[in-house]
Amino acid sequence: MKAILSARNLMIAGSAVAVIALSAVSGVFLLRSIARRTPFSGQSVSLAKQDDWQAFGGTWQYADGAMQNNSDERGAKLMSGPTYWSNYSIEADVLLLGQYGDAGLIIRSTDEEEGVDAYHGYMAGLRDLDNTLILGRADYGWREYAAKPVTPRVYAQQWYHVKFLAYGCDFAVSARAPGGQTTSVAVEDPDCLTEGRFGFKSYNTGAEWRNVEIRKATGQDLVAMTGDARPTIATPDALPMGAAPGSYDHYFEPIQRDLLAHRTDVNAQSISSLRLLSPDIPASVTIHGVVTLTSPVLFIQDPTGGLAISDSHAHAPLQIGDEVEAKGDAELHDFSSRLRDANVRLLWSHTPVPPVAVTAAQAATGAFDAEYVELQGRLEHKDEAAGHTLVLTLDDASQSFLAIVSEAGQAERLRTLKEKSRLRLRGICVVDSDYTHDLTSFALLLPSFNDVEVVDGPPWWSAGHIVATIIGVLLLALAGLSCYFLIERWRMQAVLEERGRLAHEMHDTLAQSFAGLGFQLEAIRDEANEGSNIVPQLDVARLMVRNSHEEARRSIAMLRPENLESVGLLRAMENCAHRMVNGTSSIAVRVSSDGSERAIPLRISDTLMRIGQEAVANAVRHAHPAHLDISLNYLRSAVELMVKDDGCGFSVTGELAGFGILGMHKRADSIGATLTIHSAPGNGTTLCVQAPTPPSLLRAFWIRFENSWRNRSDGNPRR
Amino acid sequence: MVQMYYIRGLLMVGRIVLLFRAEARSRRQRPNNEVQIAMDRPRECVVVSQKVRRVLGRWLHALFLLTALAACGCRQQHPVIAVIPRTCGTALWEPEHAGAAAVARARGLEIYWNAPMRDDDIQTQIALIEKSVKRHYAGIIVSPIETLPMRTPIRRVLAEGIPVVVVGTELGVAPGPKLTYVLSDERAAGEMAARRVGSILEGKGSIAILGIDPQLTSNMERERSLEATLAREFPEIHVAVRQFGLSSVPQEQEAAEELLAKGQTIDAIIALSLASTRGVYYALAEFGKAGNVKLVGFDQDLIPPIRNGGIDSVIAQNTYAMGQLAMDVMDRELHGKGSATVLEVPPVLMTRENVDSAQIRQILNLAWWPPR
Repeated sequence: MKAILSARNLMIAGSAVAVIALSAVSGVFLLRSIARRTPFSGQSVSLAKQDDWQAFGGTWQYADGAMQNNSDERGAKLMSGPTYWSNYSIEADVLLLGQYGDAGLIIRSTDEEEGVDAYHGYMAGLRDLDNTLILGRADYGWREYAAKPVTPRVYAQQWYHVKFLAYGCDFAVSARAPGGQTTSVAVEDPDCLTEGRFGFKSYNTGAEWRNVEIRKATGQDLVAMTGDARPTIATPDALPMGAAPGSYDHYFEPIQRDLLAHRTDVNAQSISSLRLLSPDIPASVTIHGVVTLTSPVLFIQDPTGGLAISDSHAHAPLQIGDEVEAKGDAELHDFSSRLRDANVRLLWSHTPVPPVAVTAAQAATGAFDAEYVELQGRLEHKDEAAGHTLVLTLDDASQSFLAIVSEAGQAERLRTLKEKSRLRLRGICVVDSDYTHDLTSFALLLPSFNDVEVVDGPPWWSAGHIVATIIGVLLLALAGLSCYFLIERWRMQAVLEERGRLAHEMHDTLAQSFAGLGFQLEAIRDEANEGSNIVPQLDVARLMVRNSHEEARRSIAMLRPENLESVGLLRAMENCAHRMVNGTSSIAVRVSSDGSERAIPLRISDTLMRIGQEAVANAVRHAHPAHLDISLNYLRSAVELMVKDDGCGFSVTGELAGFGILGMHKRADSIGATLTIHSAPGNGTTLCVQAPTPPSLLRAFWIRFENSWRNRSDGNPRR
Repeated sequence: MVQMYYIRGLLMVGRIVLLFRAEARSRRQRPNNEVQIAMDRPRECVVVSQKVRRVLGRWLHALFLLTALAACGCRQQHPVIAVIPRTCGTALWEPEHAGAAAVARARGLEIYWNAPMRDDDIQTQIALIEKSVKRHYAGIIVSPIETLPMRTPIRRVLAEGIPVVVVGTELGVAPGPKLTYVLSDERAAGEMAARRVGSILEGKGSIAILGIDPQLTSNMERERSLEATLAREFPEIHVAVRQFGLSSVPQEQEAAEELLAKGQTIDAIIALSLASTRGVYYALAEFGKAGNVKLVGFDQDLIPPIRNGGIDSVIAQNTYAMGQLAMDVMDRELHGKGSATVLEVPPVLMTRENVDSAQIRQILNLAWWPPR
């Protein structure tokens, strides 16, 4: 019950917090909504800050204090400002570039997309097709509320000052001609859009806007534009232009202008035919072609070839893909022609020429001079040249060539281009020495950085990658080696633990049993009569038990683990020797050390310990020495253990297996150590084992690995 | 998608309110000692007095109701149909908007009307179709700019289970579940043009056919029907020139200029597309031959030259009726009553004599907006 109540109250508390939070958020939104709809002070609009503007179609650029749309798309828009502005006006100077379209200002716009009338908002502007000032509303479809003839008329290439105001559901627009004549229109849209942002729009013509200002709008501002009369209720026209009877006559003039604007010279020559002109007689020619490059030189191309136009005079900025008519003086060159002092007229847009795919070898012949081509090459290096230009040097089979591109605004992409990458490039092939500097057969003039495409990155086997790989492999080997030694250490510790366990087991069972057996035999001996036949047998049995007990004690001493890491090898040897000679007090154990003491890897110290134990055991068991000397010498790159006794000695040429010497040799081999034994009958024995320490560990490892492999091959695994 | 989350959120708030009210009700019915037990719970539990709970309950209830009301107000209630013509803002395609909108308003449907800014921009048209699918519109009515590139996008839309009505040209994809064609009767249009030329030339003369566009099935059907009718009914009319269509008016104008500059005797020109009709008219006007060389065009665009005879006549597509029919078919499809079929709308010959008739005014009707 408590839990339920607790959960319930938590829910209530949570709900309370949610309500308070929601109320707070609602309050903030309400206040913000009120604040943001509050009229703002008048302000100039910066056309130069591109981030403030959002384009929907068109080709927009800021130049000479004006925003230009050089495209004749139907319905290009450029939008700015917040979508919550309500009562405001926008005014600007507007200039139409073409003869057959309209351009103006948008107000209270939202939900813009690319499309002819793809936005919700109001637009007002000038239309030179029928010489009118228009005002209407777009809701993904156009409703034209008013189209009033402009006084004196709408001329292309002339600035008009247009002001568009929205206040409540009233909308007013005025256009002032260069001569000062003003034309105004105002309407009321009862179901109006109440807020939105502002922008520019052009339809079927390029246009320019400058001196843009935004102001808050009041009722007085509206009256100042419309007078005392109320704006008329907006009634859209439901017929297309020129369809209404009696109103079509004035459409013929703009139609005439439009057709003349696109009239072409039917006697235009093909570009390739210019090569057949006399080189000595200057010729003025007309050609038609599609723009393939605009900077640094204008290039055009028709189905027969390409051509450069120097000193061109165009009425409007040209774009790649524009079909143009050029009239100028032909200048013949070896591989192509050039037009000088040419007048260039735009005929139509959006007819881009596809590039011709060629190889560098084909381009090097000059057959594609001044043509738009696509080819591939491997980037050798990139250099910056004057005027923010980037020069790429590329190789393709037997040919090298240059690719020249403006790097303005493309610094980031430039950095990503890696040398030795295989690139696909599209550009104008030129053999002019101005570009090749007579270093290569040809050069490519790229329209933009977008015409550079990375087909394949640089080869992986670079010097840096190889070095990195080697370092990586070494690190991996080092890590593997470390792991190996770590595992070996764990294994050794496990072996030592197992030996300790065995020693304890033997002590608690075998040694105790021998002791008990000895006591029993002793008791039987005491009870037995001295002259009994059993006494000698009992004495033999007692001796055998004593010997076996001694053997067991030595074995336990050898198996007992010594904490080599904590007490050190020499100390452990001393302890072990003392335990082994225990009971044979006639043997004196002496230990010594020489050289600078240092840590010895566990595996080496354990092996030395085992060899030393065996040597001590052999001495105690077989040599009956008076002295036993154990010394440990730290050499520069090795450690040497010497066990020396002054016992009976033996002949080293005899059979040694019984002395465990073979086992000692194997142990020494396992750590790459050398084992030497010096002995002669009556002269004692000296055993010396010298094992390499860390600097030669790798060698020791290799020896161990080699031995292991050899043993495995022989079918005789060591353990 | 946003709406779905919104509705889920509302349901959650509703559940909280109901839980709270049920708890309050059960607490009112509970003996006093149980309340006392509840009041005696450990200090770490949140203590809320009955009065505070009542106030909170009212607040939550009010909040829920307000949110529900707001949701009803904001929620998109009508299925949206994307209507994507070849381009917008022209005398040819805006009437389709008006026709479709009139039916949509009557059937409780909403329209998303948009198209490429140029009538040769097939990539933008395909992008608009894909955008409509992403926005989960209920259906798509499209007038393809070209036949072949549109097949795959339309098949993909159909694979999503979205009904499609193709307006104006066949795609070669057979009508089937969720795919219907609403076409202008191009065979009749070709016959109409042939008979008009035959009538003007009194069955004898030399003509040029411009604007032949193999990329559009409807255009080729026009051309085939035209030539077949001429051969059959006017054997003495000789087709002296045939030219393929180009993508824009200036290009068509240039092609017509070159034709006229050759000095070949041409008594009449039949222009098979909107762009070629305007381009040929411009060239004729430029060469001072408008009215002398008879021009029979296709697809309504320039109206004033029809009035003064610069263009003899135009075979108009009744795009208003096509828009109406397409939206009607879509509505039936949305209600599971669709029938895989090809519907044809007869074209209308627009001449100087009938340009102000009620029939032509209906065909040119731009009023897509609701009446006030």
